Amino acid sequence: MSKETIQIPQGSIKRTVISWLLLIALSVMSIYMGLFIQNKSLFIISVLFIVFLKGQQIIDIFMELYHAPKKWRLLFLSYVVLLPLIICLVYLF
Amino acid sequence: MSTLTSNGLIEKKLPGDLAMWFFILAELTVFAIFFIGFAVTEQLNPEMFREGKNQLHPTAGLLNTIALITSSFFVALSLHAMHANKGKKAAILIGIAQVVAVIYIVIKLWEYSSLFELGLDIETNSFFTLYFMITFFHLMHVLLGMVILTYIAIRASKNEYNVDNISGFEAGASYWHMVDMLWIILFPLIYVI
Repeated sequence: MSKETIQIPQGSIKRTVISWLLLIALSVMSIYMGLFIQNKSLFIISVLFIVFLKGQQIIDIFMELYHAPKKWRLLFLSYVVLLPLIICLVYLF
Repeated sequence: MSTLTSNGLIEKKLPGDLAMWFFILAELTVFAIFFIGFAVTEQLNPEMFREGKNQLHPTAGLLNTIALITSSFFVALSLHAMHANKGKKAAILIGIAQVVAVIYIVIKLWEYSSLFELGLDIETNSFFTLYFMITFFHLMHVLLGMVILTYIAIRASKNEYNVDNISGFEAGASYWHMVDMLWIILFPLIYVI
């Protein structure tokens, strides 16, 4: 596999901090979302979409797969896309 | 995690060990089967699952989520420290990550004991069978993750890692992030939806 060389992203620690805060905010949002979304289907879709958002942050920022070869990054991102999607389909149909 | 070269550029390569990534993929697959099985079983027994979820403590689940996310955060910071060849700082950050992870363990054990006091256990019904099985299996992964973190922290404190020899550290950190990622799926599935 050929190696690509890229510049270090500016403020990578800052990005990690922002990701952490975003993850916590999304976690709090998901647990209280039921207070604002009465439609059960929309609620399930929203919660599972938040799962995708949080998973993407962990994969790209914490695991730093953003800098990994594309096929590995897409493989792990597909997990947090497909699994919530499958669960969503189970609940909705 | 990326490999930092001496001129400050990042080589676009898979961080850590390839074997660890295949292990992570295997673990993710097993848990995916559990999660889908949970959702399917819930659809077949909606009333049982609704009653079961009412016995749980969503606030405890949220606190556990915040604990694991924060623990992962400190592990991510430890890798930044390793990129700067600061092994002792990395070890301290992992130590903080582990202290935060203990919060998760304490809350989880409290949850279990409170359910046991209500007479609810793994044999109560399908919901609680799946609840205890999935969460306990995840707890075991948390404990293994803490052993791995301890190992890499000790090695980091002895400066046995450096910019050119960091894959073991990255692999350990990746495993911990996997444990966190599993919980962020588990938490809404079992406590929220």
